[in-house]
Amino acid sequence: MKAHEFVLALFLVSAIAIAGLFYYFFLSSRQAADGGGVSNPTKKRFFFFTALAVVMIILLLVTIPKSPYFLFTGENPSKVVYVAAKQYSFTLSSSAIDPQNPVSTEAIELPAGQPVEFRVTSLDVNHGFGIYNERAELVTQTQAMPGYVNRLRWEFTEPGTYNILCLEFCGAAHSFMRTTFTVK
Amino acid sequence: MTTLSLKKITSAWIITILALFVLAIAFGITMRFNQGANINLDPAKFYSLLTTHGVTMIGIWAVAGMVAVNYLLARYVPVSTSLNVFAFILTVVGVVMLWVTTFIGHFHAAWTFLYPLPFYVAWEKWATPVFLLGLGVLGIGWFVWAVGMMLQILKKYSLRHTFAWQHLTTKHDVAVETPPFILITTVSLIGIIVCLLAAVVLLVLFFAEYFSSGSFVNDPLLMKNLTYFFGHTLANESLYLGLATLYELMPEVSGRPKFKTTWYVALGWNCTMVFVLTAFFHHLYMDFVQPVGFQMIGQLASYFASLPAAAVTAFSVMVLVFKNPIKWSLTNILFFLGVVGWLIGGVGALIDSTVSNNIFLHNTLWVPAHFHTYNAMGNVLFSLAFFNWAANEFVGNQNETKSYSLKIVLLLIGGFGFVLMFYFAGAYSVPRRYSVYPQEFTSAALLASAGAWFACIYLVVILWMFFDIVKKCFKVFSPSY
Repeated sequence: MKAHEFVLALFLVSAIAIAGLFYYFFLSSRQAADGGGVSNPTKKRFFFFTALAVVMIILLLVTIPKSPYFLFTGENPSKVVYVAAKQYSFTLSSSAIDPQNPVSTEAIELPAGQPVEFRVTSLDVNHGFGIYNERAELVTQTQAMPGYVNRLRWEFTEPGTYNILCLEFCGAAHSFMRTTFTVK
Repeated sequence: MTTLSLKKITSAWIITILALFVLAIAFGITMRFNQGANINLDPAKFYSLLTTHGVTMIGIWAVAGMVAVNYLLARYVPVSTSLNVFAFILTVVGVVMLWVTTFIGHFHAAWTFLYPLPFYVAWEKWATPVFLLGLGVLGIGWFVWAVGMMLQILKKYSLRHTFAWQHLTTKHDVAVETPPFILITTVSLIGIIVCLLAAVVLLVLFFAEYFSSGSFVNDPLLMKNLTYFFGHTLANESLYLGLATLYELMPEVSGRPKFKTTWYVALGWNCTMVFVLTAFFHHLYMDFVQPVGFQMIGQLASYFASLPAAAVTAFSVMVLVFKNPIKWSLTNILFFLGVVGWLIGGVGALIDSTVSNNIFLHNTLWVPAHFHTYNAMGNVLFSLAFFNWAANEFVGNQNETKSYSLKIVLLLIGGFGFVLMFYFAGAYSVPRRYSVYPQEFTSAALLASAGAWFACIYLVVILWMFFDIVKKCFKVFSPSY
């Protein structure tokens, strides 16, 4: 199961479980008489809070090492792509971009199976830099912020044409700001 | 003590908030129909609506929580009607200023007005300063009111008792019990005061650059941190104000004993107060220049800000309801469903606040999915519960005989149907804040249309409640009342 599908399934199962549990509480109150209620609430409370805390700690321990800041940090990227975003287009280049004259010099081709690095900035407002595969699935992303360069490292496993879409609201033509590159 | 003037100003708030809510829902539905390609708006108009919808919703539900706690606070300490009226006037003025900038000035930098977008003027020139001023007017009204309430609480309860610290020690000071309502109100008001101070700094920095003629330029990373510190904290504290109302009213209208502050309630809410102030870092996960330590704090705080409040409240509500004879009414069923919506939205939020998920969920429709769940099906229901209870209180009749089943069924279908369309689209990577969807997102438009229709069902229920509640609220203005 892909990560996108997994989070949706996790959410739906949790939502149904919460709704079902509370519906059960609701039903129990409709047939209840005085003197009912939760038996031994102190013990149940201890179990409930402990179980939740343990789940949270396990989730933190499992997920934090997978954060993008720690990916491919010990490796040298096989290619560096410089990215400058500006209302409403992206400039991609294999060499550093002149902010006064941002032009894409060539079509970008990246190798599959090797880590690459995107150095992303903005020449005006905040933009997003979202990389989508051919199935329109968001693979990875970073923000394009004026005055800062975000370094995004990624290893593409599938060859194909990738779309870059703006993922931070940047003005009226935000939905039309995009470009492409190829992975071979 | 509840005075007639308090009833009148509370009624005025309820009528105003509900009227603005109906309009803001209509704007939201219009946007979803546009994304569904059922209508065709000019992108600038779409984003003006987006800005109006966002800023109005955030504003009215923050202030709705303050209205509710102010009304109920009168049971414990004297509350100032003058400050209440002052906040009301400034809120109306602020909202008018904001709507003028979006509808007449065509301002469309979204409610987040992320620096430096407001300075890249694609609207009337005057709209940027007036928008920022409008926010300032709202902020001043709420700040003064929140500080006023906090000072009244501190006149009766010492600092230690306000935070219920005596409940944390083994030597329990039984002479002074801190009601959960006072504890949660305090925690929420402190959060509101702090985030409004951040908003002041943010606005001052905006204006410093605006009037500097280019000699002073802000740091975009600092401005982004300030924006989300203010916005995220305000949204969360609004929810906690709703919970304060729940703790005070739900047992009462259910015919059950009042909630008590125990050590775990006190500990849970004290932890929430601290953690919620650093959870906003999760908005900047995709800014890799932000120090990694802050990113880690973001995930830790997001997990542990929600856990104590949610776990303590869910457990308390379960103990209240489970196998106990409850006098169900529209008021407590709204509180009860609000907890369900809040928890479900919380799961969506927790998934998104995990950095390794955020990389493929950030700024997709998963974001509006989770915040609409805990707002439209959580916080809004807490406030509606209070509005319904207050309206019944105004006419002196808490024993409603009218059936509410149809309202609830439609509310659940409309509300959860609406947010579910966001979740599906978000999980499949559809970007948020797109006026129209690129053709590769094959199901995005269909999901948007379906979401809009579900939202129409939700709107019908809100209108239904609006007329019921407002009719009762108007009675307090009658000379014979």
